[in-house]
Amino acid sequence: MLKAENTLFTIVMLLYFASMILYFIFVAFKREKLAPAAQLVQAAGFALHTAALICRGVGAGRLPMTNQYEFATSFAWGLCLVSLIFIRRFRFPVLGAFSSPVMFLIIGYAAMQSKDVKELMPSLRSNWLGFHVSTAIIAYGAFGVSFVLALIFLARDRLTRGGFFDEHIPDREMLDMIGYRSVSLGMLFLSFTMLTGAIWAEQAWGSYWSWDPKETWSLVTWIVYAAYLHLRIRGGWRGRSAAVFAALGFVCVMFTYIGVNTFLPGIHSYA
Amino acid sequence: MRFAIGIIVVLAAVCAAGSFITQGQSFDWYAARYSERIAGLIIALGLDDIFHSPGFVVLSAFLCADLIFCNISRVKQLSARYRAEKDPARAFDGVPQVSASGIADPLQIFKKLGMGEPVKIEPSAGLLTSEEGSGSSANNERAGLSSTKKGLGLFASKNAAGLWGAWVCHLGILLLIAGFALGQFTKSEYTVYGVPGQTKPVGDSGYELSIDDFRIELSGSGSVSQYRSDIRVSPVGGGEGSPSGRPASISVNHPAKLYGMKFYQNSTGWAAKITITKNGELLQQDWLCAGEFVPVEDMPELVIYYNAFYSGPTLAPAGPETAAEDIETPAYLYTVYYMGQILGMNVLIGDEPLIIDDYVVTFTEPRPYTLIQVKKDSFTGLAFAGGIVTLLGLALAFYVQPSRVWAYEEEGSWTVCGSSPRGGRIFEESFLRAAEAAKGEAAQGCADREGREGEAVPSKSVSEREEDHAQG
Repeated sequence: MLKAENTLFTIVMLLYFASMILYFIFVAFKREKLAPAAQLVQAAGFALHTAALICRGVGAGRLPMTNQYEFATSFAWGLCLVSLIFIRRFRFPVLGAFSSPVMFLIIGYAAMQSKDVKELMPSLRSNWLGFHVSTAIIAYGAFGVSFVLALIFLARDRLTRGGFFDEHIPDREMLDMIGYRSVSLGMLFLSFTMLTGAIWAEQAWGSYWSWDPKETWSLVTWIVYAAYLHLRIRGGWRGRSAAVFAALGFVCVMFTYIGVNTFLPGIHSYA
Repeated sequence: MRFAIGIIVVLAAVCAAGSFITQGQSFDWYAARYSERIAGLIIALGLDDIFHSPGFVVLSAFLCADLIFCNISRVKQLSARYRAEKDPARAFDGVPQVSASGIADPLQIFKKLGMGEPVKIEPSAGLLTSEEGSGSSANNERAGLSSTKKGLGLFASKNAAGLWGAWVCHLGILLLIAGFALGQFTKSEYTVYGVPGQTKPVGDSGYELSIDDFRIELSGSGSVSQYRSDIRVSPVGGGEGSPSGRPASISVNHPAKLYGMKFYQNSTGWAAKITITKNGELLQQDWLCAGEFVPVEDMPELVIYYNAFYSGPTLAPAGPETAAEDIETPAYLYTVYYMGQILGMNVLIGDEPLIIDDYVVTFTEPRPYTLIQVKKDSFTGLAFAGGIVTLLGLALAFYVQPSRVWAYEEEGSWTVCGSSPRGGRIFEESFLRAAEAAKGEAAQGCADREGREGEAVPSKSVSEREEDHAQG
């Protein structure tokens, strides 16, 4: 099964790369017909990515969410899922052009990690693992999409000088709204992640909150997005300032994910 | 609002600082890592224990005060809005965010938007003309009605509960902080460790814990899959065989609750039996866990400290921590203190004796010990309830979006209006799609956003509406 997962992972990387190229041609050369093809290739990549994760899970005999490689590949999967949902829901293929490079970077990061399957330490042998990490994957995926939307928002005025982008990129108000929706989704799932993590930590370590760097940075990320939501809803922040704030939030997400593991070891050091 | 944002931004900054500065270390530790000046600054500012510092507590208190003030000040207004949102008599109070005219069958729009069965409003009930209703003409004008319009009205609203989302979320955060803070002030935590057969007091709780068994379970590959302790807890004095002793089996992720306390399988290490003889006579014998010390019975100023356990002739520090059961060459790192001064430090291999004048010390029978954490926190449930309420609030705020749709008949055709400030453009798009579908082919092309006859148009920009919303 792990061999199959390895093969599938390689194919998935190629498919994501292909969809990125197709999206690029669609946007750079204004080939509208390539948009559905790019989406199809991305969807195929997502389907095989799902299969790869299932193979990994079956091969390892556990949920594939416990080390850097597994979380990175799951993160790319989550980003792909949320991106596909938003592309379809808002009929917004240009989103794919911006999200596919981020997706490819994350799966590339996964490819650089060790794929060794190791036995889980006792504290990770819990049913809460699935709830905790899967909600984190969706949260990170949604925040990834909000980051991409913020980039599109910030680049929109430069891009929409021709008819093509005017047609394919929603107006500022709509972009802002979609960005808000993706942050909302991420915020809800990040809260789920923190709650399930707290319940699990209480069972495993006897303390539901230990100010471990990963916990602390999850809280920092939560606060940054909470500030974004307050400023947007109650403070009337819209447009550029909201987009910059959403992008800043994703910097916190990435620091929580990679920075904490690299610079601030703690009880989450395996994640 | 600015005050609240200010507080949470400062809180985030403090949390970030706390994650970069290793917490709970001494001046010397910080001085070695940074410099004496920085170490002094860290200690002086309380950055070594930032999450319990007065500044952090004050910030959290300000946040709570703000949340309480916010929730109290909004409850009356929210109740009024909630009632108004659902009240058919106030169907036309709302500013239409989007509208479509020339609709033959308005029920289709209600259905497509999932509004449920609309309430019929007779002109006297809500769709009032200036001649018939006093005080409602302004509403009618806002709703796009002229004073001459008469006819049947329809109204439906959904998801009014979503108005309470932020309020519920704030309440949840308050509960969570309250549960956490009360827990910090009132909880008791103890650590008990030992080998099977030992009975030890659980701190000052008035209970004692007997370790009946401790097992390290290995997986097929030889790595540890679980640590499991069989314990019994009884009131002090009840003894190991006390009938009131309550047994439990605990393992990682599976704590047990006994006498209002929770017992967690925390970790393990290596214990050894220490035997001290004097002039060939047995003086004392006890189990000692790595990290423990024992004073010599008839000379308490002489202390034997058992630092660590290693195995193998190489004495590699990465020796068996837990898993290896068959120790061929055990080695014990010890320190001898006399009147607080280090007398010596070395390693004893196997049964090798340590001779101090008349005393002979030996370490034997190395075996894993179990470390059990005991906690009593009556407010954990409150904190978790707060977390769940916060989640519920977020779900309400984000995914239960209040919307109202109303319609009035005019000269044989219907005008349908809709409003969902939080739904914004996404609600408008859904409304316009529903309107297009309701019009059918005959009206296709009319339901655009150009404002022509037979139009379907948003009435106000989202930012304007949300300003209204925020002010309202």
